[in-house]
Amino acid sequence: MTTNITTLVSSLDRRHFLGTGALFILLPVLPDILPGVTLGSITRGVLFGITALGLALLIRHTMLVSFGNMAYFGLGAYAAAFGATYLQVRSAILLFVLAIAAGTLAAIVVGYIISSHQDIYFALLTLGFAGLVHALAIGSELTNYSDGLSVRTELARPTFFGAELPVEVYELGIYYLAAVCLVVLLFFAWQIITSPFGRALQAIGQNRQRATFIGINVRRYVWAVFVISGLYAGVAGGLFALLELHIRPGNTLSVFRSGELLVMVIVGGFRTLLGPIAGGFLITYLLDTVRFYTDYYYTVTGIVLLTVVYLLPDGIVGTLIRRSQTADGKTSRRWLSDGPAVVVDSAKQALGWVKFW
Amino acid sequence: MTGLIPGNMLEELFVQTLNGIYYGSILFMIASGMTVILGILGILNLAHGELYAIGAYTTTSVLGYVVGISPPLSTPFGTAAFVFLVISGCFVASLLLLPIGAIIERVLMKPIYDRHELYQLLATFGLLFVLTDAIRFIWGERPVSVSGVYSPLSFSAIPVGEFQYPFYNVLVIVTAFALFGLLLYFFSYTKYGRIIRATAINREMATAIGINQNRVFTAIFALGAFLAGFGGAIFVPPTAANLDMGTTPLILSFVIIVIGGLGSIRGAFAAAMIVGLLSRWATWLYPQFEIAAPFAIMIAILLFKPEGLFGTWSELS
Repeated sequence: MTTNITTLVSSLDRRHFLGTGALFILLPVLPDILPGVTLGSITRGVLFGITALGLALLIRHTMLVSFGNMAYFGLGAYAAAFGATYLQVRSAILLFVLAIAAGTLAAIVVGYIISSHQDIYFALLTLGFAGLVHALAIGSELTNYSDGLSVRTELARPTFFGAELPVEVYELGIYYLAAVCLVVLLFFAWQIITSPFGRALQAIGQNRQRATFIGINVRRYVWAVFVISGLYAGVAGGLFALLELHIRPGNTLSVFRSGELLVMVIVGGFRTLLGPIAGGFLITYLLDTVRFYTDYYYTVTGIVLLTVVYLLPDGIVGTLIRRSQTADGKTSRRWLSDGPAVVVDSAKQALGWVKFW
Repeated sequence: MTGLIPGNMLEELFVQTLNGIYYGSILFMIASGMTVILGILGILNLAHGELYAIGAYTTTSVLGYVVGISPPLSTPFGTAAFVFLVISGCFVASLLLLPIGAIIERVLMKPIYDRHELYQLLATFGLLFVLTDAIRFIWGERPVSVSGVYSPLSFSAIPVGEFQYPFYNVLVIVTAFALFGLLLYFFSYTKYGRIIRATAINREMATAIGINQNRVFTAIFALGAFLAGFGGAIFVPPTAANLDMGTTPLILSFVIIVIGGLGSIRGAFAAAMIVGLLSRWATWLYPQFEIAAPFAIMIAILLFKPEGLFGTWSELS
């Protein structure tokens, strides 16, 4: 036992602690340290970060691009709104579960249909389904056309454990729920990419035919990772509905939001885990906040995008990692590339410290 | 709606069918631009809707001058000349898109042809944002229309039973059919059309036999941008140009080129007509289905005949 602890302690790296600490501490205090930014827009950043992470899981290994992940986000949000409006569900947690189920189920169905298609056809099929869902939401009375649905039951906010909280506490509650989901799903994503399942996906992305020859059931793997990305979107969509309390097709289902999602993934760097989350924060911030400073906020987003395409092809986080690698010859900022791995390492090390003393 | 009486029903059907063909004609112009760029350059241009919007806005600035030289509208000849002048004005206005398209291709697209297609998508998406703001900067926030053109256009109508059908719409349909014929002729029978097709089918081989690939690519992007702009230009006289106008045509263009077959001009024409007709019939009979119908067809086509109605060609297939 002692040797075990000693090796743990000796491999202790201050940087790991800094990185891990930043990740855990930064998330809850963000609203306090960033003036001029509302809690709501930070929560939205977290939620789009989650959705972008799910999309990145699909892209980074299989190299299949989805134009329609907002559909699962939106279906999740609409499921929560349905629960509140039609089924009179008042519990926030129950609505959240409904949302996850809806996003995942939709991804299971759509994924089954499209998983054998490739390249541009895959992308266009996802776009087609997203467009269909958006069109149906706009065109049907059940979803109240383009005015959308309220997530309130008889004008009251959803409750946590039967209690209706004051608005500040409620928003803070949603924020913490989102932050916890982000950390859990980040950990889950790391588990996936280091597992044999993740390796198989990578093989598919490198050469689909070769993957088939070595016995990988390509279709089933693509389906599985598509469902996972739908699950991520459903989680974020449900929390989005709980946060906004009123959802419209324009801000949840629109195909353009799916495009923005893709932007978040690439801007952050789709080969990293923290990249999509950073991209989610950055783009949400640009689209939400910059419009108060200039009328031409679209240009700001456009220029960020073009900068990434022409100057930082690995994305912002991806480039940071590469820089640090080329400088030292090894990755000094490992937490950037495989965040949760370091989180676990550091947690173990911290535990080691506690036991040691 | 007077659709309950059978006699009127038939006339209404006729008018809605004409409306569908009219809408399909405009959609064809936009989608043909997109399909040409996709088929030959392999780039899915997400900024295509904004090029369409630029065509529309430029037209609002140009048409005022055209109206000035028109003969008096009192005679049938005067009306015909007026409508013809409006369409010529649209054509002239959308010529601006040729240099814009060429510059976009040379500056933005050329450096990234070798990269993963994700980056090409992203570059055009960034361009979409920038172009939207450029339009906002030049023409302002509020919708722009040419009121001096709008009312004469709506008065010059052909009677269809109880209805009056705008003469302008008929001329737009004729223009679209002519454009379709012209594009087919250009790509099938002219020297430059063959050069372009050769480049699309095999870039390396085309270069080897002395075709300047760079020049072909620039020309094609300019042509595609022009077609989008012409669609916008011809759409705008009876309506108004606004900042969101590029969104729907962009998404419908995707749908159309998928239904028709990526890169196929015949396919784009057929699919544009299908989408145009269905959406107008749906507006009349069952409005809820209007937006959903094109996507439903697109999914069905992708699942059962992924190469589209007329098949894909070039290096895409």
